[in-house]
Amino acid sequence: MLKALTLATALGALAAPAMADTLRVGMSGGYFPFTFTRDDTLQGFEVDFLNEVGARLGMDVSFVTMSFSGLIGALDAGRIDTVANQITITPEREAKFLFTQPYVYDGAQVVVRSGNEDEITGPESLKGRSVAVSLGSNFEQLLRALPYADEIDIRTYESNIEQDTALGRVDAFVMDRVSSAQVIAESPLPLALAGQPFSEIRNALPFRQDAEALRDRVDEAITAMKADGTLSAISEKWLDADVTQPLDD
Amino acid sequence: MRALDLDFMLGLVPILLGYLPLTLFMAAAGMVCALILGCLLAMERVARIPVLDAVVVLFISFFRGTPLLVQLFLFYYGLPQVMPVLRGITGVEAAIIGLTLHFSAYMAESIRAAVLGVDRSQWEAAEAVGMTRIQMMGRIILPQAARVAAPTLVNYFIDMIKSTSLAFTLGVTEMMGATQKAAAGSFLYFEAFIVVAVIYWIVVEALSVVQRRIEFSLNKAFTR
Repeated sequence: MLKALTLATALGALAAPAMADTLRVGMSGGYFPFTFTRDDTLQGFEVDFLNEVGARLGMDVSFVTMSFSGLIGALDAGRIDTVANQITITPEREAKFLFTQPYVYDGAQVVVRSGNEDEITGPESLKGRSVAVSLGSNFEQLLRALPYADEIDIRTYESNIEQDTALGRVDAFVMDRVSSAQVIAESPLPLALAGQPFSEIRNALPFRQDAEALRDRVDEAITAMKADGTLSAISEKWLDADVTQPLDD
Repeated sequence: MRALDLDFMLGLVPILLGYLPLTLFMAAAGMVCALILGCLLAMERVARIPVLDAVVVLFISFFRGTPLLVQLFLFYYGLPQVMPVLRGITGVEAAIIGLTLHFSAYMAESIRAAVLGVDRSQWEAAEAVGMTRIQMMGRIILPQAARVAAPTLVNYFIDMIKSTSLAFTLGVTEMMGATQKAAAGSFLYFEAFIVVAVIYWIVVEALSVVQRRIEFSLNKAFTR
């Protein structure tokens, strides 16, 4: 009897890491309106989204905030289980991580200081200009993929690209369309959208290769949240638009 | 120029002060560990123990020769890939270890210079009265060296307090991390960074008062 108990305990201890009941989510806490801090409270689209995922899986969700540049390293090192910071699916990242289905569909957007939107009207007018992007973001790759990329002065930032564009230190920044529009509407900074979004991007949650089971469970929860309208409601709440459906639907 | 958002600034003060204990804890823990390690390294540099000396020289060279941020990333994100045991280390622990290694390398050099700066006659006199090497160090040399090294060591401590702001890259929300988030969430960059600058400034000024007291008491024996 005692032996059986000991064995059961030992087995339980062995199995514990596989059924960890806390989902550790990394985010920057500085990407309005997806993850941001007001009155020392972490909030935003990603926070609501992951809390809902946790509730459906019966898991506690612990949010870990750190500089954007540390997020992927932390995921790779096993310090967090996933990154909720509008991570765009790219071939390079897919080779390294397992993604859930996309939960946000968006486009890349050029944003300029107010008054310059007649001069800079989209990606094609970025030739010979300086453009800010977040370090490690896929917008840097999108810019480098343009045929005239060598004529663009691409500057990577740790944070505060909106501020440097408003100050006129760079001619523009590139970010996703939805948060760009929110930043312009909500912040006191003199910024304006320049032209139309120029590339479809699909954002999802990345997991390590050894966490396929967890990825599958989260993916199922996302499917259910899409089906019952919860995900659309979260999108409407933070973005005044539903960005959770594919654009060609 | 727009008017400052004073309500935001006043509201931010208590929030940031809530993170001050963590900032001070990381700096204080780093200081104690770095001081101990720095003393050991300096002792070795004075004694020049074969083989060990080469290792210590290499250690000091590396930790003085690379940026603290690089060391933190190497330790927190890089090493766990090859040594999975290190995954269990928290961001706060990693920050303290990083600060310790980095600053002990600098401190070792200051302490060594201070020890070697003690007049030769003091060493000879201690030897003449039959003191052991440990007695000589503990009673004669280190008290005199401490007086010389104290201002530099306090300077390193001040530097260490400010260096804790790098811990946000390791997922530790300390005072600067909280400021960055508050700035990004409100877009009130000027207000947020002014508030945190003033808090750091006041802390360091308070420390300068402590520094003067330490120097006064260390100098007591030498003033008539």
